[in-house]
Amino acid sequence: MAGIGAERLHLAWVSSAEAQRFVEIATATVESVRQQGALDGEAFAMALEAADMTVNSETIRWLVGKEVKITTKGDVYGRPWDVESYEAVLHKELEREYQKNLIMLAIKKGFTSVRDISAEIGIDLLRISYLLADLEKTNMVEFTGMQDHKPVFAVL
Amino acid sequence: MGDFEPKIVSFLCNWCAYAGADLAGVSRLQYPSNLRTVRVMCSGRVDPAFIIKAFREGCDGVLVSG
Repeated sequence: MAGIGAERLHLAWVSSAEAQRFVEIATATVESVRQQGALDGEAFAMALEAADMTVNSETIRWLVGKEVKITTKGDVYGRPWDVESYEAVLHKELEREYQKNLIMLAIKKGFTSVRDISAEIGIDLLRISYLLADLEKTNMVEFTGMQDHKPVFAVL
Repeated sequence: MGDFEPKIVSFLCNWCAYAGADLAGVSRLQYPSNLRTVRVMCSGRVDPAFIIKAFREGCDGVLVSG
């Protein structure tokens, strides 16, 4: 979601007796990352910070922690959830939290109107307005007034 | 870019991949020195936050192996 490229993250299973396999995986991983070149830390700083805030957020932590309970025993209302609908909710919430965090960071960087935020983070105006209303409700951002006929926001 | 040496953080499970890496060392098998290994007691211990932290601190790739 942060756009750094899924190919930079490798996952592999190696048993303790498989030294040869470990060597192969290590070599393949290093080669793959070498092909992709160095990660531009500056360009992805904001996206990574937003991703960091997202995976550490209370909503996401709760949601992930409750996965087994929700998909096996149902939610607090006793409604059963299959894994697909649980994951759909999780992905939707991840995207929403991530975009909200990006907006917060953009405002902190001085992009205070909806149009400026959109130009900085590349999310459309309608979605930003919608998420800003949400951030206002939870006291994360504040509407501070009009400037050149544009509403301006500040992070609380 | 020809002599670019990527920095890669590897999270290795103590019981599987770490032992595998150890054995590779003992058996004198050659593998690249770009990996910075973090030994974890289980690959389930690896939190997505660790991976993001690694990228934020400037590594080019992450390997999780269990």
